[in-house]
Amino acid sequence: MSMLRLRQAAPALLVAACLVALSACGGTEYPNSTFIRNTDLNTATDELWDLLLFWGTIVFVVVEAALIITIIRFRKRPGGPAARQIHGNAALEIAWTAIPAVILVLIAVPTVRTIFQTQAPAPAGSIRIEVIGHQWWWEFRYPDLGITTANELYIPVGRTASFELTSKDVLHAFWIPAMGGKRDLITNKKNYIWFTPDSSLGSNAYNGFCTEYCGSSHANMRIRLYAVQPDEFESWARHQARPAVFPAAATDTAPAGYSFPIDRLPVHVAPQTPIPAGLTYDDDLLAQGDATRGATAFLAGQCYTCHTVAGNPNAIGVIGPNLTHIGSRNTIASGLFPNDAPHMARWIKNARVMKPGVLMTTIGKGEYDPILKRTATQGTLTDQQIADVVAYLMALK
Amino acid sequence: MASIAAPTSATSAYASGEDTGIWSWITTVDHKRIGTLYLWTALTFFLIGGFEAVLIRTQLMRPNMGFVSADTYNQLFTMHGTTMVFLAIMPLSAAFFNFLIPLQIGARDVAFPRLNAFSYWVYLLGGIFITLPILFKVAPDAGWFGYAPLTTTQFAPGMNIDFWVLGLQILGISSLAAAFNFITTIINMRAPGMTLMRMPMFTWMSFVVQFLLVLAFPPITIALFFLLMDRFFGTTFYAIAAGADPLLWQHLFWVFGHPEVYILILPAFGLVSEVLPTFSKKPLFGYNVMVYSGIMIGFLGFGVWAHHMFAVGMGAVADSIFSMMTMLIAIPTGVKIFNWIATMWAGEIRFTVPMKFAISLIAMFTIGGISGVMHSSPPADLQQTDTYFIVAHFHYVLFGGSIMGIFAGIYHYFPKMTGRLMDERIGNWHFWLTFIGFNLTFFPMHFAGMLGMPRRVYTYDAGQGWDAFNMMSTVGTYILFVATIFFIWNFLRSRTRGAVAGNDPWGAGTLEWSIPSPPPEYNFAQIPEVSSRYPLWDLKDPAKTAGIEHSHADLMTITDAHAVPVHEETERKTAKELGIPMPFPTAKPLVAALTMFLMFSGLLFLRNGMPTVFLIVTIGGAAAFIATLYAWLTSPLE
Amino acid sequence: MASHAAAAQGAAPGHDDGHAHHHYTTTGLEHRKIAIWAFIGSECMLFASLIATYLIYKGRSIVGPFPHTEWVSETGKVFPPILDIPVTSVSTFVLLMSSFAMVLGLQAVQLKGSPLPDGANWWTRIQRNSQLWIGMTALLGATFLGFQAYEFTSFVHEGLTVRTNLFGSTFFTLTSFHGAHVTVGVLWLMTLLWIDRTRGLGPKDELIVDIAALYWHFVDVVWIAIFTLVYLIR
Repeated sequence: MSMLRLRQAAPALLVAACLVALSACGGTEYPNSTFIRNTDLNTATDELWDLLLFWGTIVFVVVEAALIITIIRFRKRPGGPAARQIHGNAALEIAWTAIPAVILVLIAVPTVRTIFQTQAPAPAGSIRIEVIGHQWWWEFRYPDLGITTANELYIPVGRTASFELTSKDVLHAFWIPAMGGKRDLITNKKNYIWFTPDSSLGSNAYNGFCTEYCGSSHANMRIRLYAVQPDEFESWARHQARPAVFPAAATDTAPAGYSFPIDRLPVHVAPQTPIPAGLTYDDDLLAQGDATRGATAFLAGQCYTCHTVAGNPNAIGVIGPNLTHIGSRNTIASGLFPNDAPHMARWIKNARVMKPGVLMTTIGKGEYDPILKRTATQGTLTDQQIADVVAYLMALK
Repeated sequence: MASIAAPTSATSAYASGEDTGIWSWITTVDHKRIGTLYLWTALTFFLIGGFEAVLIRTQLMRPNMGFVSADTYNQLFTMHGTTMVFLAIMPLSAAFFNFLIPLQIGARDVAFPRLNAFSYWVYLLGGIFITLPILFKVAPDAGWFGYAPLTTTQFAPGMNIDFWVLGLQILGISSLAAAFNFITTIINMRAPGMTLMRMPMFTWMSFVVQFLLVLAFPPITIALFFLLMDRFFGTTFYAIAAGADPLLWQHLFWVFGHPEVYILILPAFGLVSEVLPTFSKKPLFGYNVMVYSGIMIGFLGFGVWAHHMFAVGMGAVADSIFSMMTMLIAIPTGVKIFNWIATMWAGEIRFTVPMKFAISLIAMFTIGGISGVMHSSPPADLQQTDTYFIVAHFHYVLFGGSIMGIFAGIYHYFPKMTGRLMDERIGNWHFWLTFIGFNLTFFPMHFAGMLGMPRRVYTYDAGQGWDAFNMMSTVGTYILFVATIFFIWNFLRSRTRGAVAGNDPWGAGTLEWSIPSPPPEYNFAQIPEVSSRYPLWDLKDPAKTAGIEHSHADLMTITDAHAVPVHEETERKTAKELGIPMPFPTAKPLVAALTMFLMFSGLLFLRNGMPTVFLIVTIGGAAAFIATLYAWLTSPLE
Repeated sequence: MASHAAAAQGAAPGHDDGHAHHHYTTTGLEHRKIAIWAFIGSECMLFASLIATYLIYKGRSIVGPFPHTEWVSETGKVFPPILDIPVTSVSTFVLLMSSFAMVLGLQAVQLKGSPLPDGANWWTRIQRNSQLWIGMTALLGATFLGFQAYEFTSFVHEGLTVRTNLFGSTFFTLTSFHGAHVTVGVLWLMTLLWIDRTRGLGPKDELIVDIAALYWHFVDVVWIAIFTLVYLIR
């Protein structure tokens, strides 16, 4: 019987462990926890969750206890009582129909209230952000601020961020667990979600994910969200709205705007994707990279057909991410790699090895393109040219 | 074609029932043999799907693993879902429909034995068609849900989705044909005196499931047909450039998809409703309410599909309505749980392996049900949907529910199918390892999900707080792998070396236990006349059924001249000796399935630049199919 | 066919070619009668899905031609509303009449062999001509298909194909799905006609005519829904 008790006790123990663990979930150990009340949206959801967990736990304990007691008490024993032939009991059956119904009403009322509360129009004065999903990266536009950026999102704490979501290709979903619930990005449709990071929050970085399966690199479509102080946001926004400072970099005395300092990046926000084996690049070349030559190579590599660099009249492509201030970002490839020269060089050389299925073609001379299944031929760059392009891009602060 | 199987004389038909050669299986129209074929085939697919799960969990064991590539992983999780839903659990249920329904209602076969064989062959061909491509790395890779527009040629130019759309279309035909058959069988072939409210609970739940199949499969058939038209003939149903609405697919898919959940779970509910009374030595508690709650679950199941779509932005009003409809379903489901516990209350519980699986269905399904209520609330669901919390939830429902129930059913009915009992000791190893492995695999997923881990990702970064949970899940999966080896060992071994079962090894109360194990081809030498829900207990242990209403034979208006009061059948004569006409064995259903399969698979050539081959194969297949149907319909059944 | 030969060697008396079972059934109805109703229930969901899709996509096509309104293409070409309601009204009437013929066909089979009442007039005689009515049903069905073929051809000439726009995709798929059902029905009726001509259909064959009739009426009713929702409601 001890085995039996243990087996039946196991779920109860697991739930007890669950409750203890849930109360501890948060902080740095669980950076993507949905239980941290960072925003109004998250708070409303978490209050509802607490209610669901409360009633769920009660139902769980009642049912499992009834089950365990029954099977222990009425197990067949030598000399034990014979089975009593009961066929039903109307009063009991009505009771266990009615009681769950009452519990469900207690859940349904706050549910409906929270639905209408969280789906109401965003409050006035919120920052509008258009989120456009692409396979497999995020385009963020701040229409009122004249900013177009990619994969890294800045919002000020204490002010509502209101997102308008759509997709250019297949379905995606926008989710930053620590900020609140998710919403799908649907082609030919606009969706909305808004939340307000609490004004008491310090400047911090959060992870976000695509949560609607969208093909090969669905797992590699990540978001970095920086919820920063209002003045930092102002500084960032002012700078991002301007065209690229290159090639006037030498003479441009305007200070670079705020960007989230890479040395303060929490460890879970810093990408740790290993570089795929077989993709070689001589990092010594990077030191010799020349940004001016790189601007030319940017054209030779046909980068401009897909990417925009505001201020570079040739680069007006809209297929790939906007690179105007690429140098100010902490990550590349939709949060897959840190934005440093060695990673950038390899990315340019053969993005399709770095990130499965990616649309950006293989550019390195002599490199094998795993999607076209042939060696790259057109618009290819040598390792030295790549070093130059990297220098150019890194200068686009 | 007609000549292949037409028996030359009636004698061969009589003799064939005891025949065991390959040809006798190919041409069989015996519901028990077809049930056995379903069982073996579905278990094979179950092992394939399980092996895919092992590969998936190995890739996710640690952050940034490189065990399989992204594209392979995407094929694996798509095929794991597709296989488990369409090729394992549904056909495992179908194995029980086939084997048990006629036995439980006191019939000699199903209403349309040849259609039944056709359903099986179509299922087998469809299953092979959809599974084989994984060997060539062109398996379907858009998820078992196949959301548009990811499945259109614009985003999926390869053949992967072609296999998926054609394969599911073929499998749908199998399910529909089987459903028409069982509806007719249950309505029309019950033994005298077996009123609807005297049917065994498994037959009742199966009856509900057949209606769900009949009504839920058409929407997905149409959704798949649109996709097929889009991919092969350039229509614009899901073409975003033409202004298509990607939600069209989702609505049609989930109008099918949610009833499908009940299609997967209700047969398991039925099975445990047979197992629990037997091993508690008590009738099912609240039979009527169990029937009504099953019907309610099926009915409400059609009104809740959009709870799979809370994130698509349907608006607050629609979200609220679907939320409350979903919560309503918890009520009849909860009633079932309580009635099962009450069935065991005051009983004499014997902890056999089938009983252990049945009890763990109650314990585990409860967890799945509770998490189900948690995401019936849209704001909470928006933190849960498309995360591992959902993966945990539906595995508690489909593994903790359906698979546990099906294992209970296999251990319970194995002696009826084979005449021998499965080994209890190995069975216990199987059960405990399954129970532990299952919980270790899926319970941690609740945490991973609520702590932010999305579904359907082939990799994840370290330091996200998910590492330990993923490691636990992977270890749990390996334990399940070992558990399954015990099951295979037990299953194969017990067929020849298990203890001989006799008619009624468990002391059960329903008709199928009144006949020899395995049953003779005609099932019942004499059709029994039924006057209560547990006719065999009436016979052997009247005290058990004393409290339930019984009818008197003279109240019945229609009786078969051959019907006799319920009795135990012990003699084993051939159908010929008894003068019972049996359906002729025939290969026409197989030929019909093959030609129809040809007709569909011809489409593959169309997108590969071979329109002539397409025309020849498809039109040839269609013509041969029609010819076979004519040959089939004009040849006598028995 | 081989059926009669095989039946002659038949397993048991009273089981000829599967048309006249004397098995006990719970409801007293034939199995096939129940199965056809289950099948029709399923078909209802099938057409409901198709029609719902048509209605959801109604008015959402980016380019023409459109069903009820004029469309001017970028090149300035004018496309008139594409649906020809008068012509389709005629074909709808034809299909409705076929259901009427089907009713008479079933009645004729049921009456076959019963003695004619005294003073039977031509109509009473013709009422018993099952070949006439079943044949007429098939002929009217085929006429409907002819109208559909004409309609499809003229639409393609006017620049609407399955690939043109959402309207083209939904319209052609819905109506040709229905057309395929009519085709199956016509083949089914022709098979009955052929059986009637070779061995004669009588009251004992009521079931096989009855289930064909149920199917045919169902297909007819579906067309009334399609005609109303697609053609008449703008």
